[in-house]
Amino acid sequence: MILQTSGLRVASGPMIRVDGLDLSLAERGCLALLGPNGAGKTASVEAIAGLIPKAAGRVTFDGSDITGLDASKVVRRGLALVPQLRELFPNFSVEETLLAGSHAARGRPALPFEMVYELFPRLAERRRQLAGSLSGGEQQMLAIGRALITNPKAMLLDEPSAGLAIGIVRAFVDAVKRIRESGVAVLLVEQNLEIAAALADDCIVLAAGRVVWRGSARDATSSEEIRQAYFA
Amino acid sequence: MVVVGGLKFGAIYSLAALGIVVIHKATRIVNFAHGAFVLAGAYATYGIVEAMGLGYWPAYLLVPIVTGLLAAAVELVTLRPIRQSDMFALITSTIFIGIGLSEVYRLVQNTEMLGVPNPFPGRPIFIGDVIITKEQIWVFAGAILSSLIGVAIFGYARLGRGLRAMAANVRGAMLCGYSTDSMNALAWFLGGALAGLAGVFAAPSKGISPELSISMVTAGFVAAAIGGFDSLRGALFGGLILGLAETFAAAYVSSAMTNAISFLLLFIVLLWRPEGLFPEAKIRDV
Amino acid sequence: MSNKRWRALAGTLAPSAAVLVVAVLGLALDTYWQYVLAISISAAATGGALAMLVSYARCITIATGAMLAIGAYGAAIPVVWAGVPFGAALVFATALGALAGFILAIPGVRFRSHNLAMVTLVFQSVVIIVLRESKALTGGAEGIHVPPPVIFGISFADDAYFLLLCGLLCALAVLPIAVLLAGPFGKNLRALASNENTARAFGINVRHHLIAAFTFSSALIAFAGAVSAPRFRIIDPDSYGVLTSIFTLAYPIIGGMGSIWGGIVGGGVLRVLPELLRPLADYIELIFCVLVVGTLTFFPEGLASALWTGRRRSRTATSSSASTREWQAPRIATSLSEAESVAAAEDETSERPMLELHDISKAFGALRAVKGVSLTVAPRSLHGLMGPNGAGKTTLFNIVSGFIPPDSGRVLISGMSLDKVPIERRIRLGMSRTFQHAAVFHRLSCLDNVMIGLGRNSVLQGATRSLAAALDTEEIRAERYAALSALEAVGLGARAQDAAGTLSLGDQRRLEIARAIVSRPRIILLDEPVSGVSVEEAQRLRELLVMINRELGVTMVVIEHNIGFLVSLCQRISVMTEGQILAEGDAAAMVSDPRVRLAYFGEREAAE
Repeated sequence: MILQTSGLRVASGPMIRVDGLDLSLAERGCLALLGPNGAGKTASVEAIAGLIPKAAGRVTFDGSDITGLDASKVVRRGLALVPQLRELFPNFSVEETLLAGSHAARGRPALPFEMVYELFPRLAERRRQLAGSLSGGEQQMLAIGRALITNPKAMLLDEPSAGLAIGIVRAFVDAVKRIRESGVAVLLVEQNLEIAAALADDCIVLAAGRVVWRGSARDATSSEEIRQAYFA
Repeated sequence: MVVVGGLKFGAIYSLAALGIVVIHKATRIVNFAHGAFVLAGAYATYGIVEAMGLGYWPAYLLVPIVTGLLAAAVELVTLRPIRQSDMFALITSTIFIGIGLSEVYRLVQNTEMLGVPNPFPGRPIFIGDVIITKEQIWVFAGAILSSLIGVAIFGYARLGRGLRAMAANVRGAMLCGYSTDSMNALAWFLGGALAGLAGVFAAPSKGISPELSISMVTAGFVAAAIGGFDSLRGALFGGLILGLAETFAAAYVSSAMTNAISFLLLFIVLLWRPEGLFPEAKIRDV
Repeated sequence: MSNKRWRALAGTLAPSAAVLVVAVLGLALDTYWQYVLAISISAAATGGALAMLVSYARCITIATGAMLAIGAYGAAIPVVWAGVPFGAALVFATALGALAGFILAIPGVRFRSHNLAMVTLVFQSVVIIVLRESKALTGGAEGIHVPPPVIFGISFADDAYFLLLCGLLCALAVLPIAVLLAGPFGKNLRALASNENTARAFGINVRHHLIAAFTFSSALIAFAGAVSAPRFRIIDPDSYGVLTSIFTLAYPIIGGMGSIWGGIVGGGVLRVLPELLRPLADYIELIFCVLVVGTLTFFPEGLASALWTGRRRSRTATSSSASTREWQAPRIATSLSEAESVAAAEDETSERPMLELHDISKAFGALRAVKGVSLTVAPRSLHGLMGPNGAGKTTLFNIVSGFIPPDSGRVLISGMSLDKVPIERRIRLGMSRTFQHAAVFHRLSCLDNVMIGLGRNSVLQGATRSLAAALDTEEIRAERYAALSALEAVGLGARAQDAAGTLSLGDQRRLEIARAIVSRPRIILLDEPVSGVSVEEAQRLRELLVMINRELGVTMVVIEHNIGFLVSLCQRISVMTEGQILAEGDAAAMVSDPRVRLAYFGEREAAE
């Protein structure tokens, strides 16, 4: 298991967003975190990545306890997050964004930029273009590229396909598959059951901060329970 | 001639403003204690030039380092613990830290006013009707050069990339491995160093006294505001504009206007174009 | 009943009484201490004024020195040059101060934090420069000699007489500020300092309130300057410089930002600290700075409050929700007179749609968040709004409540167009709302939170209600009763005096509901009312909302991600996706509608 959480609790003020989440991500595996809005999926991955504080629980990555570490340290350990809002730098060029990301790979073997450009040829064409002027899909590519350049062992992807046109979604699904093939474990947050099923080995469904279903991706597509969970 | 004088002071203000903008861009805090760092630079200049008799060249190199470390220490000790507080607490803290530091210097020095000699004494140069002293040229060139180096570090060096990333998006910067702690310390160090350098340049002509602290933070603030708080280039031009405005006002209106003009300028800028003359083009939020 | 009345009045009079008591006690001391106490008392008044700006409204002002100068010179000049009697000069100086505060505030309150601080610094510096340069009038840098006050032929040159006069005058001057701060005006200031948008949603015009705060406090500060000037005998511009402004800022911060007392005690003590700590006189300023920074870091509520917290901690926040105890939803009292009730009788039988949206569109740059949405909400109905993330629901809500202007389209409430109606006025038209993050005013009590919900929050209303609160009039008692009833209706009656920040999330959501219903609105917009609460709590909130809808006839529009909750609560649901209404109809039907499922799950239908 490359990534494990036990009893993860996340609160924002008096609101409990995640209440006792246990999950395990296998090395080179892919786990999908599903659930309706407000279920706590984003809060979960952002807490795991150290971007927001944890109220309770433990997170172990690659054999060490990363519970107390903040995001800048977590990413340097090899766990990268592509957040839901992408959080890019509007006046950094594509190239410079990747340069910024490579800061996290200091002291570890670096990932050549070419690998990102090969995965997303559109970015290669727009090397010098400012991030703020890229289209939605290109920005998403850049966000993933920035996470990749940190040479991670595992990636947390928060709704990478949200708001993208169908055609581009296909491209992303393929990209994530290739990322997996290169040996990176993926924890994927998704609302769309189909996409999750196409990519993940296992699924966890969250509702109101709690796990309401666990199982393989294949079972998920045929389960009526999951639909109930969304609408209950 | 008025122009030359204005440019000289303007260059000093640019340096001060630059420091304020660097800190603001990277940490979102407007450092009202900035004047105290300039003053620290001026006192340190006295220490190196007069007390230790080492001359000016070591001063230009050592003072920024000293004031940079001082600024970083201030951030670490007093501001980091309240980083989560609201702007009211942060800004008020910087105001009182600034006054407090000035008080400390005053108590340590035990005299109200100190002086340092002119680094470039000697006969002035005549260009046509205009009298320019070597000191004026030196201060102008030196301050502008230092400012440009500061801008270059921030804008192009690897060191500056983290600061700019942090300025653009804190969360995104953290996801690139930049820690807020280190970046804040770096920003304050850079800001403090620039302030200290401004102090070295200002010391001979403006005199070293607690008054310098308030006048420099005000000038720096006005210059930064004219330029638009988030723009380094703006701070540069803002300082020059302010310097020119001041000397023109003093020459053609009255010496009392020297102070008033900076406030008038600030007032006009805030009301007419609060985003400054060089607003950083806000490209669509990603 | 009259006991309570006396207590309310006593509380408001206490600061003034304290000032007077100090003055009277000082009569027993020697002339040196009488001199010191006179200065201390005027500083206490300054501190009290600053409490309004700094503690309540959380504004940084560096113009206090200038205001003191305006008061001092404003009283001295008429007396010295024109032989104006002291009393009249005092009134003139105070009026001048008020005007100065007003002039400063008009441009100033466009800004917050550092820009506001700089505007006040500009004002401060310009005033001092003007004073220094106007030699003919003000004596320039040398200043002018201020004679002792003469009232009805009696000269108050004697230290003891002066102390008494000073005490009396300052006690009187502090009174209006104390009344304002203790009453709804002060609560409104705290509310806007805590959360501007929420404050605006309940009718608090932030700009007006800040201008008023600057005007009132500048008047009192000028008064204090005018009263203390004769004590100094000579006034010059440099005594009222930037450093004075900065150090007076320390009064409310060190004294405590919790109430006017902090400013008064802070001012009274800190101003004369150099006298009290003679050997440390040289270090006093440094000590101030350390104290301020220390207080801000370790005691954000001020030192005085740090001592009081011991008292408050004994009533610790209980996380037990109101609903875990047995409660029965009582009938909501209708104690407000019908004339005052916003939902007029005619609405009860009207069949016009309560809310109509006609072709609303909104784009943010290239992103079209809302594309031509039209919606109708029937009166007295429970209407839900759902949709996946990014569907535009929140944007739509914000357009209806006035936080965002639409690019095109109209919003009508009960047939009235809301075009160009600012947020602050929407509550007067019967619209109320709750917020996604339970935007209660944490530092105010639950009762105060709900009283703000009444929407009578213009500056004038705030001021008159504060006076009413001090006198404990029938009207204010009726308001309090209405607020308490609303709290009891949601099950929070017992927590009326507790600070809202100590409530659990579920209770905060109830508080929001109480605050939303107290004004008897026509329609309430609820933004994720059960987000983050337990299943049981959501159930109880659902019952509460149903009861309110039934008893009060309030229309409700609800955004929720918890679809089960939405279906069990609402009669009709509109489903949004990608900025448009995808489907609308009966709640249960919506959930099984294949188009809706497609939007959420991305399921491929057999038909494709």
